[in-house]
Amino acid sequence: MSDQIKDLNPAKECRAMGKSIKRREDARFVQGRGTYVDDIELPKMLHMAIVHSPYAHALIKGIDTAEALKVPGVKAIITAKDLAGFNLDWIPTLAGDKQMVLATDRVMYQYQEVAAVFAETRAQAVDAAQLVEVDYEPLEVVADPFKAREDKVILRTDREKKTNHIFNWNVGDREATDKALAEAEVRVKQKAYYPRVHASPLEPCAIVADMNTATGRLTLYLTSQAPHAHRTVVSLVTGIPESNIRIVSPDIGGGFGNKVPVYPGYVCAAAGTIVLGVPVKWVATRTESMTTDSFARDFHMEAEIGATKEGKVTALKVTTVADHGAFDAAADPSKYPAGLFSICTGSYDFPTAFTEVDAYYTNKTPGGVAYRCSFRVTEASYMIERAMDTAARELNMDPAEFRFKNFIQKEQFPYNSPLGWTYDSGDYETTFKVALEKVGYEELRKEQAEKRAKGEIMGIGISTFTEIVGAGPSKDFDILGIKMFDGAEIRIHPTGSVIVRAGTKSQGQGHETTWAQIVAEELGLDVDKILVEEGDTDTAPYGLGTYASRSTPTAGGALALGARRIREKAKRIAAHLLEVSADDIEWEDYKFQIKGVPSKSVTTQDCAFAAYTNPAPGDEPGLETTYYYDPPNLTFPHGAYICVVDIDKSTGEVKVRRFVAIDDCGTIINPMIVEGQVHGGLAEGFAMAFMQEIVYDEEGNHLNTNYTDYLIPTAYEVPKFETGNTVTPSPHHPIGAKGVGESPTVGSPAAYVNAVIDALSPYGVSEIDMPISREKVFSKLRAAGVEAF
Amino acid sequence: MEITLNVNGQEHKVDVEPRTLLVYALRENCGLKGAHVGCDSSSCGVCTVVLDGKIPVKSCTMFAVQAEGHEITTIEGLGGGANLHPLQKAFHEQHGLQCGYCTPAMIMSSYALLQHNPDPSEDDIRRGLSGNLCRCTGYMNIVKAVQQAAADMRQPAEAAD
Amino acid sequence: MKLNYDGQEQINADYDAVWAFINNPEKVAKCLPDVEKLEITGDKSFTAHVKVGVGPVRGRFKFDVGLEPDAENNKMNVNLRGGGLGTAIDLTAGANIAQQQEQTQLDWQGEAVVRGPAATVGARVLDRKARELITHVFAEVKRNIDEEQA
Repeated sequence: MSDQIKDLNPAKECRAMGKSIKRREDARFVQGRGTYVDDIELPKMLHMAIVHSPYAHALIKGIDTAEALKVPGVKAIITAKDLAGFNLDWIPTLAGDKQMVLATDRVMYQYQEVAAVFAETRAQAVDAAQLVEVDYEPLEVVADPFKAREDKVILRTDREKKTNHIFNWNVGDREATDKALAEAEVRVKQKAYYPRVHASPLEPCAIVADMNTATGRLTLYLTSQAPHAHRTVVSLVTGIPESNIRIVSPDIGGGFGNKVPVYPGYVCAAAGTIVLGVPVKWVATRTESMTTDSFARDFHMEAEIGATKEGKVTALKVTTVADHGAFDAAADPSKYPAGLFSICTGSYDFPTAFTEVDAYYTNKTPGGVAYRCSFRVTEASYMIERAMDTAARELNMDPAEFRFKNFIQKEQFPYNSPLGWTYDSGDYETTFKVALEKVGYEELRKEQAEKRAKGEIMGIGISTFTEIVGAGPSKDFDILGIKMFDGAEIRIHPTGSVIVRAGTKSQGQGHETTWAQIVAEELGLDVDKILVEEGDTDTAPYGLGTYASRSTPTAGGALALGARRIREKAKRIAAHLLEVSADDIEWEDYKFQIKGVPSKSVTTQDCAFAAYTNPAPGDEPGLETTYYYDPPNLTFPHGAYICVVDIDKSTGEVKVRRFVAIDDCGTIINPMIVEGQVHGGLAEGFAMAFMQEIVYDEEGNHLNTNYTDYLIPTAYEVPKFETGNTVTPSPHHPIGAKGVGESPTVGSPAAYVNAVIDALSPYGVSEIDMPISREKVFSKLRAAGVEAF
Repeated sequence: MEITLNVNGQEHKVDVEPRTLLVYALRENCGLKGAHVGCDSSSCGVCTVVLDGKIPVKSCTMFAVQAEGHEITTIEGLGGGANLHPLQKAFHEQHGLQCGYCTPAMIMSSYALLQHNPDPSEDDIRRGLSGNLCRCTGYMNIVKAVQQAAADMRQPAEAAD
Repeated sequence: MKLNYDGQEQINADYDAVWAFINNPEKVAKCLPDVEKLEITGDKSFTAHVKVGVGPVRGRFKFDVGLEPDAENNKMNVNLRGGGLGTAIDLTAGANIAQQQEQTQLDWQGEAVVRGPAATVGARVLDRKARELITHVFAEVKRNIDEEQA
């Protein structure tokens, strides 16, 4: 447990912020009484199973459902033809492209959805799905973006433009950057592939769709990280008025960006209930989840750094080829097709920079979700942190020293980056120093030198990353035109207990606790009396949901400002109760008091009771508000991570000996939860660095469709973490908080990989791509002529 | 076919297909939703229940019919309300859970582990729970929770000595 | 996944007898194992419904088979496409036929591409099973022709 947490007790007094208050959502989970979508059972509910394509690219010559329809319990089977009747055969993607719901005349990737079967039991539906006969005529498969780039086979025949190129997105000054690189004393190139990965929350995507034919209301119980946005999308594609759609996102078994998109399975289930008039449940199997959920990453990057001989960076250029799969379903804000990738200058003061991303269609599962990531910041951070290490090596300089030389200085904030961002605040030097001291960097380097002399292999990897989260200011950020603000509603009951509702949706982040802490702090109330509710579009105020570490930067701001607005009204009530003018009231020590007279005071609870029993003259009764917060800027959390590895030269096994993570996420609402988030993110970073990768062969066959082949680390593989914080508040956020959920996933992969390369560098190894398997390290060692024994 | 399952000391007469997996019988026939389903390959462990008081079983690897004649303990049988089991309490106190999806199974595996080994080392715990995946916590606080619960559970016995 | 196989059979018959046999879809179809239903769809094609059990993949597969004789080169090409249970199999096989005194030699090689759950879930058992199957087919060709001759 980190130092901050030890001394803190659950707050019974008013001060709620900064306390490690135990989570209020835990009680139901430890008793097995959470309610996840698959736990919901409705009368007459049917189960849906999906028929998937074994081909990655093929024409569909016919679909024969006769045998399948004979299976007992089967009520209906739908194909794209049936969906076309409802104009639901194609749906818009988050990236402004469109995607098939069920394959129309062709399949574009392996395991694409071809038909949906509705039956009385799960087993009957699956049995029948296996009997649906589809006649395919295979087409040439393009499973590689570099092959796609040649445009020899055009995949999207439905599009006007006959090319596999989706977009070129570039930022920065290309000419100036090229010139600066040409003139640079030292030029360092670094290639890096960020593998295609699957976010893999343990709860697969699921839906219970329920059309009440009597009322015309469609209720969708959905694994949704963004219920309001999903309601709007459902309304737009079905034509059902938004008021007749209710989305309930109950307990969510992990999201990590995976539950942001609208998936074909959801649409089929909704179509099923609309047609059949009874509820329909669909729970993705793990294989379905692995093969049809939106993937993440799949960025082929190349960076070039220019620097002086003394080690001062002068320019950065990063070019990327992105594999988007069969449809452009990347989950990014409209104006940013490559997300926030232009944060790739990181924590360093590059005078000039340029980056461009070219995206291509391939015969692979569509996607591009931000897996525990704020829109491609993970790829950007990995690229720059890898390249900085390579540059340091090239300059024969210690990677820590090289970073100190190039950090954006504390005084430079707000800092305008060459790629157009205004960083809100940061103190990179301090955070890095804390990390170096905690890990004992000097001693470790000495130990490493001694070990190297003995032929032992040890490495130290650094990542001093900057995040960019909290989308966002609505002037720049929208999804399908919907601005990315967030809403919060606070209702104070007469007896002073509270219900808080927000447009965000916790999937494990602990909003039921932290949201209550914010409101409790602002209003001087007891956390235990504040109920937090999210996920029901009938009751929660509009908001864009929880992903990209945006909840605290957006809804957190809405809650604080909403509470302050309530405090303004409560102040008038306090003045009424204390029989003075509102100007004579001050908020002091979590109470309203007559200025300078602490004995003459009332609490928010007193004001709440009065709001319903004795309102201030001229004021509306009641004490509640809804606040929509549109942040003026993004927030820029940062951190310094140091990883120490030992490598077994016989087997190639990499053992992470230590991992120190110092995060700066601004003001901390609940240190216990922040630490928990960091642990989880570091473990997922470890997973990507060493284990996780979706692999396709050149025929477009998905080769690891479940957890026997797609490796998720267990307690036995995941290393121990040493965490800590520095606090540099965001100057513009109402409580100075920046968001933390993703920093560790964003920052840690480079630390792990840099450690391995640092370890292997005496053997001439400068490249290794994730996931770093034992086999890869073994081969590198053998290729370098290192004897196994 | 009709079978009788003994779950948490209670008999459930259920009508299942021979191929029905225990996890679905528990969830859909017995109405006990604490065991979850997370994969198709018995890899994730979120369906773990305890058989005969000490054997942790991924209930998706077992047919319901095979469970007849055994005593099955699920999270619902461990403790509840004001009487939380020390493991349930420890997972809460040590922040050993986030989304909660793996939690019931993680607790049941820990329960079985502590039946065999009341004083496990960190390594024992990490090995003992290596059949259960968690995507949220990074396992750090789960290990602490099991350590806390183990100490709590040993205490009465030690006190009686 | 792509699987490659090859093998050889010595058949106790002359070239013409072997050639006639392998040009007859009905006779060739009988060499497939576990055929439950057979439809001759042309003079060089047939559809076979086959019972399959490979690891977790169990059920009925449907295969469309086409025979493509290449008399000039003394070669028979066979294309098989089909599948079931969400699995697709494409197989192309070729056999060179050469008479050697009393016997006729069949040199065959085949390439199978398997897609879907069978390729991923069953990859570990599939290769051996597929080899067994394809070897079985050619062994059956030999056995049946030998029997005809006897």
